[in-house]
This record gives sequence, structure tokens and C-alpha cells, in this order.
Amino acid sequence: MNKSTISCQQAEILMTGLLDNELNAKQRRQIKIHLEQCPACAAKFDSYKQLKKETADMKFKNLPEVYWDEYWQNVYNKIERGIGWILSSIGAIILLIFAGYQLLQDFFLNPEESLGIKIGVAFGGVGLIILFVSVLREKLMVRHIDKYRSIER
Amino acid sequence: MMSDSEAILACQAGRKEMYRHLVEKYKVRAYYAALMFTRNRDDALDLSQEAFYRAYRALDHFDTSKNFYTWFYKILKNLCLNFVTRQKRFEEFDPSGINSRQENPQEILERDERSRAVWQGLRELPAKDREIILLKDFDGMSYRDIADALEIPIGSVMSRLYYARKKLLKKLEYLNE
Repeated sequence: MNKSTISCQQAEILMTGLLDNELNAKQRRQIKIHLEQCPACAAKFDSYKQLKKETADMKFKNLPEVYWDEYWQNVYNKIERGIGWILSSIGAIILLIFAGYQLLQDFFLNPEESLGIKIGVAFGGVGLIILFVSVLREKLMVRHIDKYRSIER
Repeated sequence: MMSDSEAILACQAGRKEMYRHLVEKYKVRAYYAALMFTRNRDDALDLSQEAFYRAYRALDHFDTSKNFYTWFYKILKNLCLNFVTRQKRFEEFDPSGINSRQENPQEILERDERSRAVWQGLRELPAKDREIILLKDFDGMSYRDIADALEIPIGSVMSRLYYARKKLLKKLEYLNE
């Protein structure tokens, strides 16, 4: 009869590989011999086998079919809209740069405009940008976190 | 039947409708993987779809000799972790709890006492232990795929699984008492 060449601690790790069918021939032989000779490890092996079965058998509720039916369409829409967003963002950036340049040329660099009006317009413009970014960020946060967003009102 | 790499090559050539093959093949796994992080059905659906979209955008850089799902899983996991972190931060600033996303086991698990006990045990594990158990036992990944998905050496998959299962077994013994 072969004698076990591994300790119980080594055996416990190899048990994992045996359960998952991931051992090489030598490791498989070592753990099998150990399990035949060590009742404590054999009992542990049974517990791990049962645990693996229970985890694999964990029953999640199936999603209603309608979610799966719409799944691809939702992904496809995101892909298409993503391309649309990228193009429109590039367009908006070009227009904004152009508008900014024009504003700079025609208004801020125009010596005929009074300094007071220039400062007023500058503050107003920066304020509007801050408000816009803040509202946009809030909307995006709520979109991700609002648990009632899917409820039809 | 089209292989993953054929579908990916077709997408890389600009035929985006070929991506449907990959989405249909992996959508269920992706949804359940996201569910493990979010524990909420609607968020899991949203995030898994978003991950498919982001994977599509990055598909040009994908090496077709690699496994698509393990690569996709990394994108999904990052997305889910960012979401969970942002959500926790948001809840810290929401003392009323009105916007908190409570886990609803009835929404995600069947009425099966044992499944609920295992879920409860898994929930109480550190995230890394829970993840590796679910990748192996629920998702059925090989050690090589797990190593790839978690970016760890293949030699440490077995020992990490061992310690994670040992902790889970302890939790379940405690829950059964």
C-alpha cells in the first residue's frame, strides 16, 4: 500500500483542484492516496464537494423574457448613439471655439465697448457655464442612482 | 456557427451587426456577473449593457487570440466597481436613504432556503473571495480563465479558491447553527 507523501494542509489545497478537475496526474495520485488514508480529510472533502454543488445550484430568478428580447436592441442603440454623441460633440466643440473666437474679436477686443459691459458679460458667461455643468452632473448622477426611474408615472 | 474571433474580426471590419453574436452568447453570464456586484436587477442590466457597449468601442484593440469573455469581464468588473463606489459615496450624502438601492433577495433569488443561505454566506465574504468562488462555481470558468480575468498567476488560483471556500464553509456552518 502506498503511503501519503503530503500533509493534511497540502491535501486541503489539492482537494480544491480535485473538485475542480484541475490537477495534473501526479497531484491527483497524491491527493487520492491521502484521502484514502486520512478520514478527517476525506470528511472535509465531502463538505467541500457539497459546498461546490450548492454554490453551483444557487437558483437566481430568471429575468422576464422581455428583458432578454430587448437586450441586444439596447446595446445596439448605445453603440449607434455613442457614435452620434461623438460626432455632435466634435461639431459643438468646433462651433464653440469659433463663437468664442468671434466674441473675443468683436466684443472683448473692441475698444469701443465699455469695460463695465465686458466684465458683466464675462461674469455672466462663466456663471452660466458653471450652472450648466452643475445641472448636467446632477442629472447624470440621478440617472444612475434614482431607483424610481423605471417606474411609469 | 460563427466563432467569437470570426465575429470580432467582422466587427473590426466595420460590420457592427455581427456584434450581436457576442452579445447574445454572453448576455446571461454578463448580467449575472453584474448582479454579483450590484445585487440589484435594474443596475445589473444597465451595467452589463453598458459594458457591452464599451467593449465594442475598444474592440479594435482586442487581440483575437485571447478569450473574449475574460477580457469583457474586466471591463464589466471595472464598471461595476466604479458604480458601487459612486453609489456608496452618494448614500453617505443621503441620510434620508430615499435614493439608496437596497438589495432585494426576493427579486433576484428563487424561493429556495438553501440558495438564500449560500447567498447570505457569500455576501458576508470579502469581495475578492466571493468573486473567485462565483467565477469558478457559478460561472464555470477554468483556472486559466480565472487567472486571466483577475490578472493573477494561474498558480495562485487554487490556493485563493481554497481559502475562499474554507471561509464560506465556516459562514454556512455558522448560519446553520
